Amino acid sequence: MPMKKFLNDPANLTAEMLEGLALAYSSKVKIVNERIVVRAQPKAQDKVALVCFGGTGHEPAMHGFVGEGMADAAVAGDVFAAPGGPKVFEALEMLNRPAGVILLTLNHNGDRMSARKALRLAEKAGLNVKEIIVQEDIAPGIDADPEDRRGLGGCIPLMKVMGAACEAGKSIDEVLEIGKAFHSHLATLSVALKVATHPQNGEPIGALADDEMEIGMGQHGEGGGGIMKVQTADETARIMVDRLVQATGLQSGDRALLVINGSGATTTMEMLICYRAAAKCLAEKGITLMDGIADELLTVQEMAGFQMILAKVCPTCEALLKAKANTPYWTCNG
Amino acid sequence: MTLEQFKAVWQKAQAAIEANEKHFSELDAATGGDGDHGTAIVAAVRAINKAEGDDFPTLLADMAEKLETEASGSTSSLYGSWLEGMADAAPKGATELDADQLAEVFEAGFDEICCMTKARQGDKTMMDALQPATEALVAAKGEGEAAMFAAAAKAAREGSNATAQLQAKFGRAKNLGERSIGAIDAGSASMATVFEAFVG
Repeated sequence: MPMKKFLNDPANLTAEMLEGLALAYSSKVKIVNERIVVRAQPKAQDKVALVCFGGTGHEPAMHGFVGEGMADAAVAGDVFAAPGGPKVFEALEMLNRPAGVILLTLNHNGDRMSARKALRLAEKAGLNVKEIIVQEDIAPGIDADPEDRRGLGGCIPLMKVMGAACEAGKSIDEVLEIGKAFHSHLATLSVALKVATHPQNGEPIGALADDEMEIGMGQHGEGGGGIMKVQTADETARIMVDRLVQATGLQSGDRALLVINGSGATTTMEMLICYRAAAKCLAEKGITLMDGIADELLTVQEMAGFQMILAKVCPTCEALLKAKANTPYWTCNG
Repeated sequence: MTLEQFKAVWQKAQAAIEANEKHFSELDAATGGDGDHGTAIVAAVRAINKAEGDDFPTLLADMAEKLETEASGSTSSLYGSWLEGMADAAPKGATELDADQLAEVFEAGFDEICCMTKARQGDKTMMDALQPATEALVAAKGEGEAAMFAAAAKAAREGSNATAQLQAKFGRAKNLGERSIGAIDAGSASMATVFEAFVG
């Protein structure tokens, strides 16, 4: 079937999408140097800056979370393709300040290469930049080498925690410590029912039979190894919760954040039914939940499915998650 | 090889890659990638061919620069490193490279790409074409330029074809495990196409 999407020239997808973001949320963000989304009102220079980057096609991630309380800049590449190292460096240079800049990198080969180049350039230029790598996917197994774990939608709550810590005036090392502590009890697992269409070439990404679902499918439709017959919401949630609880080390009496992150073609109704199912499984285990999210944070075009994100929260992290944020796709009154 | 011949090779490579864009994307999808290698490699060679320079180091450095500022994704980062490594090894002011210099330049390009990725021959990536091609090119340097590139192109294509039997260990395809066996790696196939453009 030919691709059915509201697009213009596929070559201009990213530029037109960014332009739309800046028009729709003009009081929050603006675009500089074509591919860098920054806050409409920059943060005070004495606070640590947070920069993220990545391929497009995952909206609202990453550029939809630039604004007060979260990121200072997001560098957009092209569809599913990370921006080049020099472009990421441009953003680091733009945000450079004595308090320092943190670069948030998702663990995908292309992203890591760009980060490596950008950090090399930053070091040469004498910038105060430190990196945090997001690698919270548990599809390869909970004992897998972190290098084999992809960075999935868990990057968004992590960005919220770190962004709020920056806003609170923490030092670069403190923000990193808070971020790493949150990440050490953060895990994500994805499930897909239907694959997405690549918006530039119109081809399907991956393949799933009509009666199959796949646990562990990555956020570009790449395989994850867990193909099985389609299960109900309750059964699917149970399989995923069990693995996520094991990975996060959550125990009875702990408090957690649960996010059902829709992949693009999953209805809000389904997300809420899955949230309910997961919340019940967690309650059975004696785990209490702070206010969660059942919404789209990081999508894969019109892939049907979701990422279940689970994080153990300490009182500090809970306060940071609830702190004031004013970005296009995450707002909190604080 | 003169600077003009080198530029013409990349024009030829672009035409061959554009003609196979869909094929490269299909290979990428078949091995568990996201099915856009065709788009990525076409964008990369187009960026490369926008570069300017009056000698080899300047042209090669500008090719790397254009790649990394105008194109996105790991293909561009890797080709950028390859060309950057070549640029550093090309003698200043050179508008022509002899067989020994070509061998040095290609070896340096390979060394630089090795700093950027841990993937090597056998991991089902573009390295399955680049590594044997570079080795064959260096080994044939006593036989002159034409023989060097003929050997390199042959080694690249054979290395690429052999990836059909391999399981992916890098990139997005690695998550597919054994299901990645059976199809040729897209990045190695386009790299072999680039080496074939160097053949007279």
